[in-house]
Amino acid sequence: MDVIDGADAPYWNGLVEGRLMLPRCGGCGDWLWPAVSRCGKCGSEAIEWTARAMAGTIFSWTRTWHRFGFTESLDLPFVSIVATVDDCGIRLLGRLDDPDRIDPVMGETITGRVGATRVENRDIPTIIWSRG
Amino acid sequence: MHPLYGTTAVAGIGMRQYRRGASPLPEQGVLVEAILAACADADLDPAEVDGFVSYGDDRNEPVRLMPALGTRELKWSSVVWGGGGGGIAGAFGLAAAAILSGQARAVIVFRALVEGSSGRLSAAVMAHHLNDHMLAAGIVAPAQVCAIRANRMYEHHGVPKSVAEDLVRASYYHGARNPEAVAYGDDLDVEGFRDARWIAEPFRLFDCSRENDGAAAFLMVSAERARDLKKAPAYLLGCANGAEKGWGDLLENDDAVLYPTAGFRSIARRLYAETGLSPADIDVVQLYENFSAQGVASLIDHGFCTYENVAEVVRFDNLIAPSGKLPINTGGGNFAQGFIHGIGTAYEAVKQLRGESSNPVPDAKICLLAGGPGAPTVSSAIFANEIP
Repeated sequence: MDVIDGADAPYWNGLVEGRLMLPRCGGCGDWLWPAVSRCGKCGSEAIEWTARAMAGTIFSWTRTWHRFGFTESLDLPFVSIVATVDDCGIRLLGRLDDPDRIDPVMGETITGRVGATRVENRDIPTIIWSRG
Repeated sequence: MHPLYGTTAVAGIGMRQYRRGASPLPEQGVLVEAILAACADADLDPAEVDGFVSYGDDRNEPVRLMPALGTRELKWSSVVWGGGGGGIAGAFGLAAAAILSGQARAVIVFRALVEGSSGRLSAAVMAHHLNDHMLAAGIVAPAQVCAIRANRMYEHHGVPKSVAEDLVRASYYHGARNPEAVAYGDDLDVEGFRDARWIAEPFRLFDCSRENDGAAAFLMVSAERARDLKKAPAYLLGCANGAEKGWGDLLENDDAVLYPTAGFRSIARRLYAETGLSPADIDVVQLYENFSAQGVASLIDHGFCTYENVAEVVRFDNLIAPSGKLPINTGGGNFAQGFIHGIGTAYEAVKQLRGESSNPVPDAKICLLAGGPGAPTVSSAIFANEIP
């Protein structure tokens, strides 16, 4: 689970640098997520990490009220979302600002910024999304 | 005919169940008790058991059970991959595969869970699945993982949230009438259900199954041999396990059509094709409901209703024995019978087919065991008390 390890390392390193980097197949152009070493569709092993804007829409969401272990750093309740990133269709897990406790709407436009989530003794880079 | 069709059977069952944290024995001890009970049920010498199958990252490696059981020789020792309850029905298919291929003759399917030995199940399940993408989003528990899918089913696909209440009430109705259930004597307090504290929206407390300590074991043998043992056989007619393209451990990037399902579309397709049966042939369903919405999604996946007519089918009156047309969880299900990683649903499947259920379905011959919904790998099986 080390941030700089694994097929998705460029994603985490990108967030640390303030950018959203996502993988695309160099052969057929398909966006690939979760990150993989080979495109299962065309067989290409050329993975091209490409910058995308932190802009998207809400695909689904939940608002958590129960204090589960590992969420101690988050104020209750908090909203987690699945966001569809514009211009690629990849869905990312993230958090949504929820100041007025208004239920998210699927398809709603959101923009993101890089923040962090403290889990035990680590700060995991996180896209924090806001409406509009 | 498919090789699995009616060629093996459950010949003996045993279960020990306690409130979470209240088991009088450590996990392995409870499991041994359940296995001995299953063997006694069939009147088969436990030393003769030569195979074991489990699922869901069970921690009791079969070779360690040999001294207490007096096992003469271990010939088959395997698990279904996956951290959730998705493998429960697949475990019976794996046992059947061992028996039909001659690699073992008497196989125990089991699951054991004692908090003092293995910790909380929810934590163990998540340890299997957790990664930084989830941790960063605050998604750390099965309830949240399933809540996000549930909201998509309710809001995008128009399933009315009221069906969840009917499903939960049906489980409690049966559990309240089953002396072996944790909810024995307690019908669901509907107001209490509606006003219960939020866990992760759309789930309140009673939309979630709650863990118990215990173990259950099932003795599987060939159909021929089962007919010579003490109890009436519960024949396995079919079993499917797996995932189709576009479903699985995909960081929420499942195919958009499959996303709000429970993952069973390909499983149900195969199960019905290989048995020649259809939803109309199913007399009773033992439905693994980790969370209310996933139980509903499982019924849709298995062809009992659609997004459009779900409210006509998933109605309390329709879901209860003896009068409902689609009786589910006649022992109380995970919600009310008890939750040892879903194994109680398989226990009730056999009891119902033997006529031993506390909530008998009149003339029930065919029972669907719908396994853990929403897991990356899922499975289901069909059992029957005669071979149609």
